[in-house]
Amino acid sequence: MSAAAHLPHPSSAPPAGADREPIFHVRGLARVYGAGTAAVTALRGVDFDFFRGELVVLLGASGSGKSTLLNQLGGLDSPTQGTLLYRGWNLGTADESGLTQFRRDAVGFVFQAYNLIPSLTARENVALITEICRDPMAPEEALELVGLGPRMDHFPAQLSGGEQQRVAIARAIAKRPAVLLCDEPTGALDVHTGITVLEAIERINRDLGTLAVIITHNAILADMADRVFTLSDGRIVNAHSNARRGSVRDLAW
Amino acid sequence: MSLLDRKLLRDLIALKSQAFAVALVMACGLAMMVTTRSLILSLESTRDTYYREHRFADVFARLKRAPNAVREQLAAIPGVATVQTSIAIQVTLDVPGLPEPAVGLLNSLPERGEPVLNRPYVRSGRLPLGRTTRGELAVGEAFAEAHGLKPGGAISAILNGTKRDFRLSGIVLSPEFVFEAPPGAALPDNKTYGVFWMPYKELATAFQLYGAFNNVAIALAPGASEGAVIAAVNRVLAPYGARGAYARVDHPSHRRVDDEIRVLQGLSLAFPLVFLSVAAFMTNSVLSRQIALQREQIAMLKACGFSNRQVGAHYFKFSFAIVIVGVLFGAIGGVYLGHQLVEMYHLFFRFPRLDFVLDARVLVAAAGVSALAAFTGVAGAVRRAVHLPPAEAMRPEAPASFRPALLERIGGARWFSASFRMALRNIERRPIRSGLTCLALALATGILIVPNSFRDGIAYVIDFQWDIVQRQTVTLTLVEPGPSRAIADFQHLPGVELAEPFRYVPVELRAGPISRRLTLQGLPERGTLSRVIDAEPRQLTLPARGIVISSKLADILHVRPGDEVIAKVLEGRERELAVPVIGLAEDFAGMAAYMELHALNRLLLEGDRISGAHLVVNASRWSDFLHAVKHTPRAAGCVIKNSIRDGFRKTTGESIGLLQKMYLLFAIIVAFGVIYNSARISLSERTRELATLRVLGFSRREVGAVLVGELVLLTVAALPLGLVIGAGFAQGIISSVNTETVRLPLVLTADNYAFAILVVACASALSAWFAARKLADINLVSALKALD
Repeated sequence: MSAAAHLPHPSSAPPAGADREPIFHVRGLARVYGAGTAAVTALRGVDFDFFRGELVVLLGASGSGKSTLLNQLGGLDSPTQGTLLYRGWNLGTADESGLTQFRRDAVGFVFQAYNLIPSLTARENVALITEICRDPMAPEEALELVGLGPRMDHFPAQLSGGEQQRVAIARAIAKRPAVLLCDEPTGALDVHTGITVLEAIERINRDLGTLAVIITHNAILADMADRVFTLSDGRIVNAHSNARRGSVRDLAW
Repeated sequence: MSLLDRKLLRDLIALKSQAFAVALVMACGLAMMVTTRSLILSLESTRDTYYREHRFADVFARLKRAPNAVREQLAAIPGVATVQTSIAIQVTLDVPGLPEPAVGLLNSLPERGEPVLNRPYVRSGRLPLGRTTRGELAVGEAFAEAHGLKPGGAISAILNGTKRDFRLSGIVLSPEFVFEAPPGAALPDNKTYGVFWMPYKELATAFQLYGAFNNVAIALAPGASEGAVIAAVNRVLAPYGARGAYARVDHPSHRRVDDEIRVLQGLSLAFPLVFLSVAAFMTNSVLSRQIALQREQIAMLKACGFSNRQVGAHYFKFSFAIVIVGVLFGAIGGVYLGHQLVEMYHLFFRFPRLDFVLDARVLVAAAGVSALAAFTGVAGAVRRAVHLPPAEAMRPEAPASFRPALLERIGGARWFSASFRMALRNIERRPIRSGLTCLALALATGILIVPNSFRDGIAYVIDFQWDIVQRQTVTLTLVEPGPSRAIADFQHLPGVELAEPFRYVPVELRAGPISRRLTLQGLPERGTLSRVIDAEPRQLTLPARGIVISSKLADILHVRPGDEVIAKVLEGRERELAVPVIGLAEDFAGMAAYMELHALNRLLLEGDRISGAHLVVNASRWSDFLHAVKHTPRAAGCVIKNSIRDGFRKTTGESIGLLQKMYLLFAIIVAFGVIYNSARISLSERTRELATLRVLGFSRREVGAVLVGELVLLTVAALPLGLVIGAGFAQGIISSVNTETVRLPLVLTADNYAFAILVVACASALSAWFAARKLADINLVSALKALD
C-alpha cells in the first residue's frame, strides 16, 4: 500500500475525460454480518467516488468483498458504517421503499445467471421493467442496442447463453439507469460470447454515458476499464487508472 | 437414527407448516370416517345387546280388544316362541309446570312376574309390579328428563274421562321405545309425548278392558318364518279389530334407529374419500417440490452409492411421516367428535347406556387408505427422482420452456400485463398440475356447500311444515273417533276461532309386492289449516275419489299419479279397496296419505266420523283454552304447533347443527390447507424469479401480485366448478339422508354459494398474505448468485 500512497488518490480523483458529476460518493464504508464472536467483516472501510460515464472494474477473488460492495451500491444491502451517497442522497440510511425506488429508477442489474423470467419472451422481459419506470426507452430499442432485434420474440429457453445475457443487459439499460451494475456478466459464458456481451456493456457506457461497474475475478477485463480497483479481505488494495481504455476485442483473452 | 432419517426429520421441520396443512386435511377425512364408522359400531352393538338382554320382540300387533284367552291361540301358532299380551293406550297428561296437555302412552305390566318380552330397564326407582292398585306409574326416561321428573314425583292423567293422580315409582327405558316418540315422527318431542308403565289391573279396569288385551308382542322360535307367523297372527286377531301385525323392521322405534345407521353409512365413505383425495394431491405437490429442490442431493446420494431403493424409501418415509401425523390427529379428532355425537344421540335414542366404541378396524383401514393415498400421491415424483442419472441431477434443471398462452394466441395478448402473462403461461405450461390445483380448490369450495345446504334444508322444512302445510294453532284428537258433531264442542272451547275436522285411520297401502303401514288422513276438500301441498309448492284439492300420497311413498311403492294402490284398513272392520293415486304431496318426515274426509268415511263404511280437529285459537284466550282442554275428557291429545316447531328447531340445532358445524370446520380447514399449500409451493418454485424482480426494482407488493396472480386465476376458474361440485355433493349426501323417517330437501341458496366463495376468497387472501410475508424473507442477494 505504500506505493499507492504516493499517487494522487485514484479512488476519488475523476479520470480525465470523465464527467465531473459523482454518481457514488463513498467514505469509510464497512459491512459486518452477524454480531459478537460470530461477526464476519466483509468490508473494512473503503473510499471512492464513481463518476458519470466511467467504466469501473472491481477485481477480487472470492470472499474479497467485491460482491458485498456491489450489493451496497445496488441498494440490496445497507452498510454497517460509513458514508454511501448516490448523487448526494444518503443510500446508507434509506428505508425499504426508498431502496426499491432507487433500484427501480437508477440501477440496471446484470446477473451472472441472467435471471430472466422464463415465462416471458425477450421483449416482454424488457417490457416488464419499462412498465414500471419513469422514462424508459422502448423495449425494442433496448434490444436493438444489444443486437437482439431479430430474436426479441423468443423465450429464454430458445436463446443461447450469450443471447440471454444480452437480453438481461437490454432489460437493465431500458430504464436509462444512471448506473449499470454487472456481477460476473461473462462468468457463465465462453470467450466468444463473453466478448459480445462486454461489447454491449461498453457501448451502453460510451453511448449513453452510464456509469458501468463490473465485478469480476477475471483480471483480463481490467484493460477495458477507465479505473480498476482490486479488493482483498474487504479493503481496496490497489487502484489504478488506464490512460486509455482498451477495446474489448483487443483484450488479451 | 440413521443420518438419512435425521435429514428427513430436518426436512420435515423445515416444511412443517406445509406438512401440517396436508396432515390436517387428511385428519379431517379420517376423523369423519372414524367418527361415523365408530358411531355405527356403537349404535349397532349397543342396540343388539340391548335387544338381546331385554328381549325385544320380533313381531308386533295392535288390536281393538281381545279376551286374554286368545293369547293361547297366538302361542299355538307354529314358530311362535313367546307371546306377551298387554294393554297400550294413549291418554292426555297434566304435567306440573307444563301449561299445555301432553300425550302419554300407557303400557300395562303383567299381573304376575316381570314382562317376558320388551323388558323395561329400570334406571331409577322400580317398576310398579303386582296386582295391587297404588296409583303408581313408571315413566320413560326421555319424558322424565324433559320435565325434571324423579321417582316420587307426581303426574295426572285423564283415564277414560276421569282425571287421576299418579306417583312416579321409577324411571325406565324399553327396547320398544329406544326412539321415544309417536310413530312416524322424525324427531322426538319429549316435552309433549311420553311413555309410561302401570299395573295391568289398574289400567285395564280404568278402560273396561280387564280380562282383555289390545297389544301383542311375539318372539319367534329359531328358524321360524316371520311372514307365516304374521299371517297367522292376523287370522287369529281378525275378529278382534286387528290393525295388522308387523315385523321388527317395521317397528317405528327400530326403524328410526336403522335409518340413523343408514344415514351414518352414507356419510362414512364418500365424503371422507374426497378429503383423502385432496390430501393425496397435496402430498404429491409438496413432495414433488421437495424432490425438485433436492435434485443435487439425490444425485450426491446416488453418486455416493445409495441405492435407488434407499433413495425411494427416503422420500416415501417423508409422506408416511405426514400420514402418521394425519392418522394421529384424525384418530384424536374422530374419537373426540364421536364422543360429542354420542352425546347428541342421547337426544334421540334411549339406551341403558350408549358409549362411544372406537371402531379400531376402521382406524387401521383409514390408516391404510391414507397411506395408499399418500403413496399414489408421491409414487410418480419418487420414481422420477430415483431414475434421475446422478450426472444429470447434479446440473440445475434446464430452464423451463414456455410459449404464449392460448388466450394470447387467439389474440388477447395486447390486453394483458406482463405479470398476468406470466401467470397464464405458468398455468398452461403445467396443465395437469394446474388442473389438479384447480380441482382441489374446487373440491374445497364444494365441500363448503354441503354443511350449509343442511342448514338451509332444515330452515326450509321448518317453514314448509309449519307455515305452508300446518297453519293451525293446535290439534286436538279424540280418545275414540266420534261423530262429526264433536267439532261443535271444539268450536265452543274458549278462544277457538276456526276448527277443521280430520279423520285418522291406520292403513296399509300396497302396490304389487311392496306395502307400507301408515296413517291415512281424511281432511276437508280444500282445508285452510292442515293443507296438502305438492312440490311446487301449491295446495292440492282433495277430490271425492282417490288418494294423495307422499312422493317418497310413491317412490317406495313405485306408483305414479293415475296408478292404483290397495288400501287395507287396519282398524275396525277390515276392508281392502283399490284407490287411484291422484297426486303427490311433499313432506319431509315419515310418510303420509290423504283423502277427502267424506270419501274416507264412505270407504270406512262408518258414517260421518272424525278423529279430532285442527284449531286456530285466539292468543288472548290461550290459557283459558289450555285449561279447558286439560279438563275435556274426550280430548286424548293436544298438539301445539309452536311447541313442536320449537322442539324441532332445538333438536335439529343440537344434532344436525353439530354436524353442520363439524363439516363446516373441516371444509374451512381444507380450503385453507389447499390454498396455503399452493401459495407456498408457488413461492418456493419462483423464489429466484421473485428475488430478481425485487432487485430490478419491483416493490414487495408488486412482486406479491406476481406471486398470487396465478393462484387468483386458478381460484377464479375453480369457483364456478366448485359450486357445481358442491351442488353435486349436497345432492349426494342429502339423498343418502333420504330415509322413510327423515328427509331433507336439497336447498341451494345464493347465500350458501356466496359463503363458499367468501371463505375460499378469504382463504386465498390470507394464504397470499402469509406467502407474501415470506416474500420479506427472500434474500435479494441470492438472486445475484449463479445457479451452482
